[in-house]
Amino acid sequence: MSEQHKPAPMVDEVSDFEVLEMAVRELAIEKGLFSAEDHRRWTEYVHSLGPLPAARLVAKAWLDPEYKKLAVTDGVKASLQVGVDWINSPPTGFGTPSDYCALRVLEDTPKLKHVVVCTLCSCYPRPILGQSPEWYRTPNYRRRLVRWPRQVLAEFGLQLAPDVEIRVADSNQKTRYIVLPVRPAGTEGWTEERLAEIVTRDCLIGVAVPKPGVTANAKRPVHPAVHPVHHGH
Amino acid sequence: MSKSQHDRTHHAKKATGIGDPQCFKGEAGRAKFKVGDRVRVKDLPDIFYSRTQTYPRGAVGTVTMPVYESPAPEDEAWDNTDKPEWFYSVKFRQKDLWPDYPDLYANDTVETEFSERWLEKA
Repeated sequence: MSEQHKPAPMVDEVSDFEVLEMAVRELAIEKGLFSAEDHRRWTEYVHSLGPLPAARLVAKAWLDPEYKKLAVTDGVKASLQVGVDWINSPPTGFGTPSDYCALRVLEDTPKLKHVVVCTLCSCYPRPILGQSPEWYRTPNYRRRLVRWPRQVLAEFGLQLAPDVEIRVADSNQKTRYIVLPVRPAGTEGWTEERLAEIVTRDCLIGVAVPKPGVTANAKRPVHPAVHPVHHGH
Repeated sequence: MSKSQHDRTHHAKKATGIGDPQCFKGEAGRAKFKVGDRVRVKDLPDIFYSRTQTYPRGAVGTVTMPVYESPAPEDEAWDNTDKPEWFYSVKFRQKDLWPDYPDLYANDTVETEFSERWLEKA
């Protein structure tokens, strides 16, 4: 085989951390800590998660003061009503070493805005919010949010008045956080379903605030390409 | 090498159906601090593993609530779950963490958690 005709590698690049994960996983399976089937089930479970239950929790709390009280005092119990059982839903039956069964719902007021980070790694309330966005895991966000929260929020397009207290919640231990934002004006008389639509993932992390008309699942316009590529072969 | 006799599934057995940290409830005794207490974060050695960040060490904050009982991460990392302790959520003024934080935003705060061994009365 000549140099020019070498087959392209199937995987371009495997990071050190991926190699480490594979090595630890294979050792764990060999030692009988869990089986390959357990691992596959876990991966399947994790990939089925998303932010919709948390959006529903917020919408419910906006409409029902009793439920809001429950949400801010016992997030794990309140999650049950939106279909998330922190203890029994994960295939392990007790959460995981990084998804503990402790959720705090941080209630914003017009003078208090919460925003969540994990400065040590990337702790995230996955059972109720799904996988974290890529930026949430970057050292850039993790290092800067605790030190320059206003500047970082401004980069997300959120500028807050000086008299609004910004409270950064750094999830360094077993508690996981979601933000219960202030219900925006212009949503009077809305149903729970309609309210849940404007509570996007970023509103639940705290880097955005809900706005009527801005939803995660809104249809985006599709523009034709300016210089379309024609495949003639 | 002889086979390890350590039971690597003891945590799963204890926590299944109950949850973690719920499974350690009632094991830490009396909580040393209460809501509103002023506490200073100690600067303990952490050569192996810790979940106490560098930035709040030495700073004084206010306990917002005792949150749960759990083994400290310094122990749990080595699978030692013998001595759970109370964990506290502590709120700091940004000004007390970063001296040059702008005065204009003096209200801004950070809230984060520590196990009891990391805190002392301030």
